[in-house]
Amino acid sequence: MNQMRNLALALVIASVALFGAGRAMAAGVPAGTAIENTAVVNYTVGGSAQATSSNTVSVTVAEILDVVVTLQSPTVSVAPGDAQQELVYRVTNTGNGPEAFLLTMTSTLTGDDFDPVPSVPAIYFDTDNSGDLSAADTAYVPGSNDPLLQPDAFVTLLVVNDIPASLVSGNRGRSQLTSAARTGTGPPGTVFAGQGEASTDAVVGTTGADGDATGEYLISDVSVTAVKSQTVTDPFGANRPLPGAQITYQIVVAAAGTGTAAAAAFVDAIPANTTFVAGSLQLNGAPLTDAADADGGAYAAAPTPQVTVQLGDLTQASGPQTIRFAVTIN
Amino acid sequence: MNKGISIITAGALVLAFAVAGQAASQGAAPSAGCIMLKTVAEVEQSYTTDSGETAKRLVPAAKVVPGGEVVWTVTASNVCDKPADNVAINNPVPEHMSYVPQSAMGPGTEIAFSIDGRKFAAPEALTVRMDDGAERAARADEYSYIRWTFTNALQPGSVAFARFRAVVK
Repeated sequence: MNQMRNLALALVIASVALFGAGRAMAAGVPAGTAIENTAVVNYTVGGSAQATSSNTVSVTVAEILDVVVTLQSPTVSVAPGDAQQELVYRVTNTGNGPEAFLLTMTSTLTGDDFDPVPSVPAIYFDTDNSGDLSAADTAYVPGSNDPLLQPDAFVTLLVVNDIPASLVSGNRGRSQLTSAARTGTGPPGTVFAGQGEASTDAVVGTTGADGDATGEYLISDVSVTAVKSQTVTDPFGANRPLPGAQITYQIVVAAAGTGTAAAAAFVDAIPANTTFVAGSLQLNGAPLTDAADADGGAYAAAPTPQVTVQLGDLTQASGPQTIRFAVTIN
Repeated sequence: MNKGISIITAGALVLAFAVAGQAASQGAAPSAGCIMLKTVAEVEQSYTTDSGETAKRLVPAAKVVPGGEVVWTVTASNVCDKPADNVAINNPVPEHMSYVPQSAMGPGTEIAFSIDGRKFAAPEALTVRMDDGAERAARADEYSYIRWTFTNALQPGSVAFARFRAVVK
C-alpha cells in the first residue's frame, strides 16, 4: 500500500494516493458519477430551534483504467503442420468507465519448445461464440475495430497460429495475447488529465491498464490398436466350427501416445455365413442393447450386417476398452 | 472544554465573510442562521518533506476513483452574539460511499450512527435484523448517517469541527 502510494507520487507529482486497500469490486462507481454531500446542523439560540445546511460539495468520480486477460482454452493438442489452431481468450474491462482496448499477440516466447507461427491475421473476435475459428468470426484490425467495453463487460477473442512441421510428440509452444487501454497504460496512479469518461481524469488502476495471458499448444500423437481374438463353442460341448456353433469375438482397443483419438468408434462386419447373436454385444463387461441408442452400442442388419461401439474420446489414460459379441455359424 | 479547540476571532462579522468566501469555491453558499456550516472534501496525499521524510497532508479532492478515500470535514462557526446550545451536526454518508470504521471524530462531541436515519446509537449498540429475525452488530459500511452532538454550547465567534472518512464504492 505504501509502496503504491510512493510510486504514484514519484511518477505523478499532482497525483493523490487514490487506491484503497479494500478494493474488491471489479468496476465500482461509474466514472463521471457526482458524489454530493451536505451537512445539517441543529441547535437552539435563546431557546428557539434553528437548523442550517452547509454548502453542497460535489466530487466527481474519475475513470480508473483496468483490464484483465484470461485464457479460456486448455492446452490445445495439435499435430505438426496443423494450420489455424485457436487459443481462446477473454478480455474484461475491470475499470469503471467505457474503454477501448488495443490487442497484440506474440508467439516468440521463451520457456517453450517451439514458436507457433501466427496466422495472418492472427487475432479474431469469436463473433459467433463457437470457441473456434469460423467464417462468421471477424478479424481484429488494430486501431480500426478495437473492442470498446463497458465496465465489467468482456469480449472473447481467438488467437490463431499455424504449427510448424517436423516437431515431435510432447513439444510445447506458447502464444500470448496482450490487451492495453487505449487511453494509456503505466504504473498504477498515472493520471491522464481530462481523458476519462465525461471529461474526468483517467487514472491507471492496479493492473497498470494492461494485461496478458499465455496459452499453449502441445504436439500430440496417438495410435489406436485393436487386438481381436475368438472362442468357438459347438453344440456338442467342444470347440469345432460346425454349423450351429457359436463364435465369441473379443476385441481390445487401446490408445497410446500423448494425444486424443477424438470420438473413436469401433465398427466390425459380421463375417459371411454367420448370424449375429442378439443381445450379445458388451463393452468392458457391460451389456449394450442392439438398438442405436444412448448406450453407444448397436447392431445393424442392413446394408451389411455389422456392430458399432462408440468409444468417445480415447487417450492412453482411458486404458484398454474390451468389446465382445457373438455369432452363430449358419 | 471548548477552549482547547476553539478559535477566538476578532469579530463575528469578519468570520462570516471568510466562511462565505471559502464556501464559494466548493459549492453553493450555506443558508443563513446563527451557525455557518461548511463542508470540505479532501484526500490524503503523501509527499516528501524538505528533510526527505515521507509525510501526509490533506489536499482538495480533485478526483476520486473507486476504492479512494475522501476526508469530509464539516466546520461550524457561531456568527451570532449569543451562544448556540444543543448543537448537533448531521451528515449522511454520501451516496456511492462507505464509511471508514472509527474514522468519525469531533472534539467535544458524542458521535452516533444510524442505518435507517431514525435510530441513532454508538457503534457497539447498532444492530441489523437478519432474515431469520436474529440481530447482529452492524458493519461500518452499513452506516448511512452520522451525528455529532456537542456536549457544550458553541460560544459566539467559536468554531468547531466534525470529520469522517469514506471510501468510494
